[in-house]
Amino acid sequence: METRDVTIEVLRYRPEQDSEPFFQSYTVPCEEHWVVLDALNYIKDELDRTLSYRWSCHMFVCGSCGMVINGEPMLSCKKFVRDFGDKIRVEPLSNFPIERDLVIVQDDFMEKLSSVKPYLIPKEERSIESGEYLQTPAQLKTYKQYTMCINCLCCYAACPQYGLDDKFIGPAALALAHRYNADSRDVGRSAREDVVASHEGIWECSFVGACSLVCPKDVEPAGAIQQTKFTSAIDYITGMVSGGGKK
Amino acid sequence: MNRKPYRRELSKTSWFMTHQRYKSYMLHEISSLFVAIYAFILIIGLFRLGEGPEAWEGWLGFVASPIGVILHVLIFVFSIIHTMAWFKAVPQAMRIQRGEEIVPGKLIVGAHYGVLAAVSLFVLILAGVA
Repeated sequence: METRDVTIEVLRYRPEQDSEPFFQSYTVPCEEHWVVLDALNYIKDELDRTLSYRWSCHMFVCGSCGMVINGEPMLSCKKFVRDFGDKIRVEPLSNFPIERDLVIVQDDFMEKLSSVKPYLIPKEERSIESGEYLQTPAQLKTYKQYTMCINCLCCYAACPQYGLDDKFIGPAALALAHRYNADSRDVGRSAREDVVASHEGIWECSFVGACSLVCPKDVEPAGAIQQTKFTSAIDYITGMVSGGGKK
Repeated sequence: MNRKPYRRELSKTSWFMTHQRYKSYMLHEISSLFVAIYAFILIIGLFRLGEGPEAWEGWLGFVASPIGVILHVLIFVFSIIHTMAWFKAVPQAMRIQRGEEIVPGKLIVGAHYGVLAAVSLFVLILAGVA
């Protein structure tokens, strides 16, 4: 099989011996059909066993291999080496602390994700005997796009708002909140409101829109957030008119 | 093993220089300033009109002066940047569903440009230019 030598520059950080990250170069004989993840696997298997990174499915379903490649957050399993020149720079996702090499600390996102209650909150629990919660194809269409999120965190790496203030709930978690709010079987909007409609929620977003541009699954979190802002503003106004004046 | 995560800080003053799309974002954010300045100039004009013919002529004189013209050209350029940036963003914020289909973003953006053209033409006719 014909190969092409590509220099892969990887941002390394080994906490037990490094005080700060540094770039290490590897020359990798890449095959035509390789994605960037294949090049990393080659390094791990053949050149340097100490390199750490996350991956699992190799088919952009699991969301584990998000990295910054030549300055863009993307899935390393989705980007072909042949689409780059002779040098590829690979860094861990920006805006997250680096655990080791390309592995980031995800704890903050995990907490935020659970804070928006990303699960169906039905009006009333149904027994298995009483059957499914029914939904029309049109009702499914309303939120289906937002179900595609695989929590790869590329959107957080692209979001300067999250980079500047990590109290921001962030794109993926807010898009998932919108996914459930927009689901006809769900009545959990008010239960999610305290987090979603707070200052650290949708109102922290200044609509840079980078999250939607980098999303490998075309979820468009920026759109989800703007739509939530709209419904939240309507909620606020109707609350004032009806005398509630909440928040 | 002890964990020692490394934190890379984003510069609060120069983060937008790190990527072209952040520069574009800052450009369309700044463009809103020029739109606000224009609104301010128009409001001042309205007040001058209320103060009588002399004040009104003075305001017209400022608008037609070299500084006024340069300012208008700048405002026009930034207004176009502002308009294009936000028209482009509309389909994300305004998602329209018809049955099982989502109305294509191009159609929504196109409708916005259509309305802009119609309103502009109306204003130009009203002003006796077109």
